[in-house]
Amino acid sequence: MKTFEEKWTAWLDDQLSGRELSEFEASLPDKAAAHAEKAEAKKLGELLKRELSAHPLKNEEFFSHQLRETIVRETVEERPERVGRTPRSTWWTIPRLVSAGTASLAVFAICAVFVMHQERAPEESQYLTQILNARVDPSVSPNGTVSIFEVKQERVTVLWTEGLQTLPADYAAK
Amino acid sequence: MYRSLAVVMSVVLLTTTATRASRSAEKVWSGLVIAENVTEPQPIPSELTRIETLLKKFFGYNQFKVIGQSQKTLNTGQEDWLATSKFFGLHVDARGETQGGYVLNLKLYKEKELLLETEAKLSKRSPLVIKGPQVGGGQLLLVLVVQ
Repeated sequence: MKTFEEKWTAWLDDQLSGRELSEFEASLPDKAAAHAEKAEAKKLGELLKRELSAHPLKNEEFFSHQLRETIVRETVEERPERVGRTPRSTWWTIPRLVSAGTASLAVFAICAVFVMHQERAPEESQYLTQILNARVDPSVSPNGTVSIFEVKQERVTVLWTEGLQTLPADYAAK
Repeated sequence: MYRSLAVVMSVVLLTTTATRASRSAEKVWSGLVIAENVTEPQPIPSELTRIETLLKKFFGYNQFKVIGQSQKTLNTGQEDWLATSKFFGLHVDARGETQGGYVLNLKLYKEKELLLETEAKLSKRSPLVIKGPQVGGGQLLLVLVVQ
């Protein structure tokens, strides 16, 4: 079922015919005004058709059109490149990080070797103090002798002397 | 790259220097000690605490009194110093640092009289105790400890 507006548009465009046309025209309240309006609409349509139809481009307009199209095409082609472009280079790039890591490991290795060399556990004899030589002045203590004891449990070396002259208690003064 | 190389070199240099510096500055305590047996012994001096058991067991005394001492910081290992009491003097002449210790020449004097001379390689981990002459009812001991 067509509405009045649909029938009105079809009537203006001369799309109604037969019984539908006669029924619609009979339903119009003011037939003369409707025909006048139809004539005006036709005039307007013809005017629009005439005035809005595409007119051929002149040389300079054609050149401008071509140029604009080229610019638009290049802009569109450029966009994906911009999106895919790598970010600006910074100081800590991946290769530099790798280099820095390698250098740090090298430094660590050097320091570790250095410290291990310095901290290497000495042999047992180096734990204990060693007496290289000892002598008692024979003119002062003619019967003096020396012995060496290494107390490994306490890690103490004792140089034991015998036969030194005995001194009075006054010699214990500070 | 040059910047990181410079940083790395600086770290290595500082580490090496700091390690060497921390190793070379060590103190040697040398003391003249009178060991005696008394009824009420005084507490042992702090410098002798770590060898207290050995001293008591080995020498058989219950009191150890410091009558002269010296504490020397060794930087080059070539220093010399004197620990003295009223009548005794212990002259220590460091003759260089070796791996794990110092070579020391020790001379014990009674006033101006040389009683004993010895050369020892003093370990940083091992004290040296020298039994000196009998003094009254006690005993003179010479003790050297790397602190």
